[in-house]
Amino acid sequence: MNALRRHRALSRIWASEPGLRGWFTTVNHTDLGRMFLAVAIFFFIVGGILAMLIRAQLASPRSAFLGPDHYNQIFTMHGTIMMFLFAIPFFEGLAVYLLPKMLGTRDLAFPRLTAYGFWCYVFGGSMMIFSLLAGVAPDSGWFMYPPLSSTIGAPGINSDFWLIGITFVEISAISAAVEITVTVLRYRAPGMSLSRMPIFAWYALVTAVMILTGFPPLILGSILLELERAFDMPFFQVAAGGDALLWQHLFWLFGHPEVYIIFLPAAGAISTILPVMARTRLMGYGWVVAAAVSLGVLSFGLWVHHMFTTGIPHMGLAFFSAASTLVAVPTAVQIFAWIGTLSKGRPSLHLPMLWLLAFFATFVIGGLTGVMVAIVPFDWQAHDTYFIVAHLHYVLVGGFVFPMLAALYYWMPHFTGRKTYFKLGNTAFWLIVPGLHGTFLLLHWAGLLGMRRRIDTYESGQGWEAINLIASISGFVMSIGFALVLIDVVINAAVAIRGSRDPWKAGTLEWAMPTPSAPYNFASLPQVTSREPLYDAPDLPVRLARGEGYLGDPSRGRRETLSVEIATGAPRYITVFPGNTFLPMLMSAVTGLFFLGMLLKTYWLVPISATGVICCALYWVWSLGGTTREGALPVGHGPELLTAGEVADPPGWWGSIFLLLANGTFFGSLLFGYIFLWTIAPNWPPPRYAEPGPDVALAALAGAGLAALGPRLRPGTGLLLLLPGLGGLAWAGIRILTRVPDPTAHAYDATLWVLMGYALLHLAVALVMALFVAARGRTGHVGAIIGGEPRIARLWSDYAVLVSGIAVLAAALPGWLT
Amino acid sequence: MISVLRLSLPLGLWLASFSAVYGLHGLLCSSRWAEPPIAPPERALLIGATLAAIALQALCLLILRSPRWREPDPRLRSISLALAAVALLAAAWTMLPVVAFSSCL
Repeated sequence: MNALRRHRALSRIWASEPGLRGWFTTVNHTDLGRMFLAVAIFFFIVGGILAMLIRAQLASPRSAFLGPDHYNQIFTMHGTIMMFLFAIPFFEGLAVYLLPKMLGTRDLAFPRLTAYGFWCYVFGGSMMIFSLLAGVAPDSGWFMYPPLSSTIGAPGINSDFWLIGITFVEISAISAAVEITVTVLRYRAPGMSLSRMPIFAWYALVTAVMILTGFPPLILGSILLELERAFDMPFFQVAAGGDALLWQHLFWLFGHPEVYIIFLPAAGAISTILPVMARTRLMGYGWVVAAAVSLGVLSFGLWVHHMFTTGIPHMGLAFFSAASTLVAVPTAVQIFAWIGTLSKGRPSLHLPMLWLLAFFATFVIGGLTGVMVAIVPFDWQAHDTYFIVAHLHYVLVGGFVFPMLAALYYWMPHFTGRKTYFKLGNTAFWLIVPGLHGTFLLLHWAGLLGMRRRIDTYESGQGWEAINLIASISGFVMSIGFALVLIDVVINAAVAIRGSRDPWKAGTLEWAMPTPSAPYNFASLPQVTSREPLYDAPDLPVRLARGEGYLGDPSRGRRETLSVEIATGAPRYITVFPGNTFLPMLMSAVTGLFFLGMLLKTYWLVPISATGVICCALYWVWSLGGTTREGALPVGHGPELLTAGEVADPPGWWGSIFLLLANGTFFGSLLFGYIFLWTIAPNWPPPRYAEPGPDVALAALAGAGLAALGPRLRPGTGLLLLLPGLGGLAWAGIRILTRVPDPTAHAYDATLWVLMGYALLHLAVALVMALFVAARGRTGHVGAIIGGEPRIARLWSDYAVLVSGIAVLAAALPGWLT
Repeated sequence: MISVLRLSLPLGLWLASFSAVYGLHGLLCSSRWAEPPIAPPERALLIGATLAAIALQALCLLILRSPRWREPDPRLRSISLALAAVALLAAAWTMLPVVAFSSCL
């Protein structure tokens, strides 16, 4: 088969459906990556317009351009959109588009999950935009502190839009994070060991794991606050044993890692682009990887530095002040590695390089002011002033937007297949960079002069007038620059001349394919022997197109790629991907109905839509795998491999591991909240503790034993033990709830309801999964008989047993101890 | 997966011990726990916990250097050792306040 016939055959197999239908049914990562990026840019434009409204209002003292109500909505939505609907999804889009191409594979690990995440993002984001257009947008600031955001401070629907809409959008982030983690670890080109991975993949991996462990505390906080708002469960109300500080802990457990979740992908793009622009290789690859991992983990030890003014004891402040200064070290290691790379090479000042230089100048300033606010006495002076506003914009615009503009111009030839011909981008650069510094540099001084953040207007005579006027004019200059970037991208994508395959002479695999890329990425998968395969084998693209790599024979007529060993990159098994389908969009729409039911308080819709989601999920999983054993199949280059349905650790097992990591973090955050309230919150103890009797202890112990043992026995016998085991645990949980019948009485009662609800939900999930696998086995599905499906179900039932046991123990502990 | 664990263990351990020491500090300063008859010797407990955390990090570094447990890939091995060293230093630096600050003021 020649290269052209192979291309046609693979395109038939992998292509999305033509026309409008293709937009809704595609599961291809190239399409979905572009769609993610396009929607994220739309939200960036909306967030930018809101920023201009803010600057228009603050340009002069006593401005009447916006009233306080509208101003509160606008600054809240500006922050919310930029953080949740632009920055994170933009990274997701870039990773979804690039990772399979960089890693030398054909798609992400779970293509339908990518599509589901995308549609959750679109529907959740639309919910937020609707609130803005309807004039009922959230207005309590982007970090939604209660009691300002609870029914006491915000009785309308505004805060509900934030809590429910953002939680909906976070499904997208968690989906993408699971997707990225499994893809980086298991879906790479044969021979691509961990130490040969492109540096961007390391950053994507660290970021994805951070999303999995950073987002659950916020999801938990949002659920608790919504439960308080909707059902009067008093988690944050001091009078009933709650504490508003609990929200701050949960929010910043997410919020500080979030800063690095935004910065690390940008750092990954810098580490990829900068060596190419300097015509050399990255200096200190190992050190940069170590710095990225260090930064990712250390960032979880900083959350309290956003709470220095809340009255925490001095030693507690000192812990987080020390950790906050420490985080500058791995950041500096990366900066020095990049400077070293520049000095080693011969940098050429193409537009991506200009943006990287702007990054250096801006981010270093933002980083240094970050060290300033890490020092407690300084933070006490600058907290909640425009100094903080200026600092965070230097970090986020300098540390994310500028590198992403470099990435946009660097990979634009890949997206479009065209040269970057028109030079409007250079003009835009000279508007945006001075515009940013003109806007925010002086605002540091405004903050030090006492200008508080979030004020809708100010009196003259405080020394702020000139600063604000200059900031507003500069802000509009910056906006004109961003508009020019947009025009530049559209014109270049539409009418610029066709470009060559690897215009920057880069060494990574995404350039080893024709651009714009074919839906299958690689006609055959490469065998990799170094980190920059194209530098070592410039003819690699031609050989891959000729089918000289793995899986070059499309005769099986289905979407196939290879899964590899994590450490070595040795081929392990063949993954067969699903085809185009409406199912992800349908399931996300039904998920949206669930959230809509919660938002509008039409609670009859909630169980109906939840049932709909379960049905969609079951259909989704049922359609995987088949009833025919295929055995080992040839993949080229000698080895014969089984398909994923016939191995013990299929992709679903790995996906479950990382989903449970996020789930476990959620549960851990819940336990933290419980202990926090129990030890710190005022108005404890509650009127009465649950104090479960020996019947509950016996049911829980026996249930846990049976449910843990069951899945380890033969399928029939195992199910007979599992079902009563799960039942025993559920009975114990329900018995505890009968002892605290009113969840509105005290924060203790409310927390117990959430703990038991969580346990019961997971017991139900374990039950459904066990019955599902049993049904699959009876109908002859290979995955349920010789594959990994029972192992996946066991993973979830073990988790359910563990969390149920801990929940029962946690409920009983205060009663036993007092 | 073992390679990934070797990379994530040292700083993961630091995060757990840092959180534990902060949590212990919270418990010791809680009005509900610090009152007689269970008023504990807070400074000694915090210093003990810190020393235990530092010892654990040192042990982790030694384990990752040992022939039995070390990472076979040389580049990943140097990354895992660098991370273990970072975690040891991080434990010492971030928990230093237990000897220098008033605990519950």
